[in-house]
Amino acid sequence: MLIQEPIRATETPDLWQVASTQFNRAADALNLEDKLRVILGNVKRELAVNFPVRMSNGHTLTFQGFRAHHNVNMGPARGGIRYHPGVNSAQVRAFAMLNTWRAAIVNVPFGGASGGVVCDPRGQLTGRAMTARELENLTRRFITEIDFIIGPHADILVPEVNITPEIVAWIMDTYSMHHGQMVTSVVTGKPLAIGGSALRDEAGGLGVKLVVEQAARWKGLDLNGANVVIQGFGNTGSNAAMFLHELGCNIIAVSDVSGAIVSAKRLDPHQIERYRQQNGTLLNYPDSDNLAEEELLELPCDILTLAGLENQIDARNAPRIHAKIIAEAANLPTNPQADDILRERAILVIPDLLANASSLMLSYFEWVQDLQSFFWTEEETRARLSRVVGTAFDSVVAMSEQHQVDLRTAGLMLAIGRVAEATRLRGIYP
Amino acid sequence: MSKAENKSPYQIAQEQFDLAAEFMGLEDDLRCILRVPKRELTVNFPVRMDDGSVQAFTGYRVQHNVTRGPGKGGIRYHQNVSLDEVRALAMWMTWKCAVVNIPFGGAKGGVVVDPTKLSLRELENLTRRFATEISPLIGQDGDIPAPDVNTNAQIMAWLMDTISMHTGHLESAITTGKPLGLGGSLGRSDATGRGVSFCVAQAAKFLNMDLKDAPTVVQGFGNVGSVSARMLHDLGCRIIAVGDVYGSIYNPKGIDPHALVQHMKKTRTVMDYPDCEPVPNEDLLEIKCDVLVPAALEEQITAENAPRIRPKILAEGANGPTTPEADKILFENNVFVIPDILCNAGGVTVSYFEWVQDLQSFFWDESEINHRLKLVMDSSFQAVNERAQAHKIPLRLAANILAIERVAEATRLRGIYP
Repeated sequence: MLIQEPIRATETPDLWQVASTQFNRAADALNLEDKLRVILGNVKRELAVNFPVRMSNGHTLTFQGFRAHHNVNMGPARGGIRYHPGVNSAQVRAFAMLNTWRAAIVNVPFGGASGGVVCDPRGQLTGRAMTARELENLTRRFITEIDFIIGPHADILVPEVNITPEIVAWIMDTYSMHHGQMVTSVVTGKPLAIGGSALRDEAGGLGVKLVVEQAARWKGLDLNGANVVIQGFGNTGSNAAMFLHELGCNIIAVSDVSGAIVSAKRLDPHQIERYRQQNGTLLNYPDSDNLAEEELLELPCDILTLAGLENQIDARNAPRIHAKIIAEAANLPTNPQADDILRERAILVIPDLLANASSLMLSYFEWVQDLQSFFWTEEETRARLSRVVGTAFDSVVAMSEQHQVDLRTAGLMLAIGRVAEATRLRGIYP
Repeated sequence: MSKAENKSPYQIAQEQFDLAAEFMGLEDDLRCILRVPKRELTVNFPVRMDDGSVQAFTGYRVQHNVTRGPGKGGIRYHQNVSLDEVRALAMWMTWKCAVVNIPFGGAKGGVVVDPTKLSLRELENLTRRFATEISPLIGQDGDIPAPDVNTNAQIMAWLMDTISMHTGHLESAITTGKPLGLGGSLGRSDATGRGVSFCVAQAAKFLNMDLKDAPTVVQGFGNVGSVSARMLHDLGCRIIAVGDVYGSIYNPKGIDPHALVQHMKKTRTVMDYPDCEPVPNEDLLEIKCDVLVPAALEEQITAENAPRIRPKILAEGANGPTTPEADKILFENNVFVIPDILCNAGGVTVSYFEWVQDLQSFFWDESEINHRLKLVMDSSFQAVNERAQAHKIPLRLAANILAIERVAEATRLRGIYP
């Protein structure tokens, strides 16, 4: 009789289908030859591990973890790690594939990886949050299990859902202890004191700001006074809110795991953050109303930023979205049927591929600085960043206009084209 | 071949484990560790075919448990290979190695492919690429592959060559079942079948049964089936029926397996061997006999056909040929079942000898190997049978308990990292 049933991954094949469909549409538009479709349309490797962790009640539970590499033709795999009950094989494969395209689109020499552990650190499902010691045990053991396929030149981990700076530090420490020396370049998002990079905290939100600015310019939308809705108030969502607020946008609604709020007045993200720290929730924020998250997505606004989880907009709610521009800061929040509906309704979707290019760039910069153990100033980093992101957006727009396809397909065409070329040159071993 | 129940091989393997764990009162902490594999690697890779096209293949390597030593287990090329099947096979390997007390854990691998449709060059390309894909996981101290369904010494040689080329020197201990000239061991190719015959002899002795002229049926005529048939024939058994994937043949007067093997060199199947009548494959297992050796694939004996399967001895040359429901029926009907993890452990035992010889680059002669094999098989049979008789339980349960005890003890001593 187990004291606590371990959470097992439940398959939601949809997400891999989503990634595959997006890939196939772009591959069709590119007329990609079969031999490359067969390689690029599948993940190269997927590791699943089951490992025991001693819990604080003295019992041992087994946890299931994953790490997938979609493609490593361009360079070491790079991608997120998350601790969440929703982690599963299809999701991990889908995100790994997305990460390959993300890197290729900004010409960063990485392949795509993703992974995580099926667990419930905050007790959302089980009602019992994991203790710091349990999280540390789990992290050290998980990294031990996947050690043989990660590394500065094999696979670089990036924090995602529920991965705190402490956990990032434990990842770096465990890997370093096993290899007998300090290895900083195996994980990014590190605190500054142990090889982290400037601008780390703002990266996600900054990226959203940059693409929203570009999209607004392209579509002739004045950001001053534009109404913005943000789903997800984690690192990316909250920082995006702060940047857009500074630009003069009206943040009118935000949500996080505790719930969603909407206000007739302009919301101040700094104050929301303070409120949340004090009260542990967004709900009942002064001068605002609580609402359901599905309702948040359907609020009329100029810009809807999706900065939460995957699978948010599908055929069911796409007809009721009333935003002019959607910025996908999360991974795969919109499925292909929804893409079609939104395109018909002339709603501009800035795909995940582009909207979070900044955080990818910054993790690349952190890796580069780690490899040389030589660190840039904040100004140098900022300058390098804006150069790259601007170019990527323009190339995708050009491709989209040339082939009369949406931004996502255009972005994928660019990315897949680059990876395909590298693959043709490298050939098929042996 | 019928598959009456809807359970997958992995579910069956876990059910067998659960039965044993329950009987032993195994603590929960260990149960949850031991009933799932430690690592599962899925790889998708392209292979250039002879016609210039590129085909994608999916392959797996699963390590169930490596607490007692490096993972050990074969690589199977078959169109029905699945992650589920490989998990079950890896788990059975852990118990098998523990039952015969060799210092290995359990692993298994496979590629979803019908190798009969590939040319030799394509097979080599596929093998070299697959070896490369699983190279992070395998190694002489970590995980040692071997042949299994549709793989053989040549394929092991290509695998070994690929890894050796990558590291720059001969890695002879990285696989077993290699050709003799390349660090293979004498006695390896006959080992599994020989082990089956040792177990059958022990069982017959225990049951006070005379093997002379004992009617014997063998399902499957690959390595395990054909060698088991030869060895049992040499012990005096009368092989009355034999089947392979193409069909089955029956001759109550007896079939000479040595001659049949010669016949197959031309025909590649047992079919059309002279003086035999053909028998539908589904009926082969139900032919009245004293000794039945399933030596083909999993899930052949099910709740559906078990009531009609009544040999005196059922010696499992294959892995997982009998479902748990069938187990109950056979036990009730007093069929003496020698479970796979004991009965076909001859192969992994001599694999172990091959690995030991490779590590020291010092090779034993055949009589020493066969002698050591007999010692291992006989003592393992004794240990399992004593446990079974003492508790009045089927040998499979006794074998599982013995195996799980050994792995559990090693785990308790090593502790849970970190």
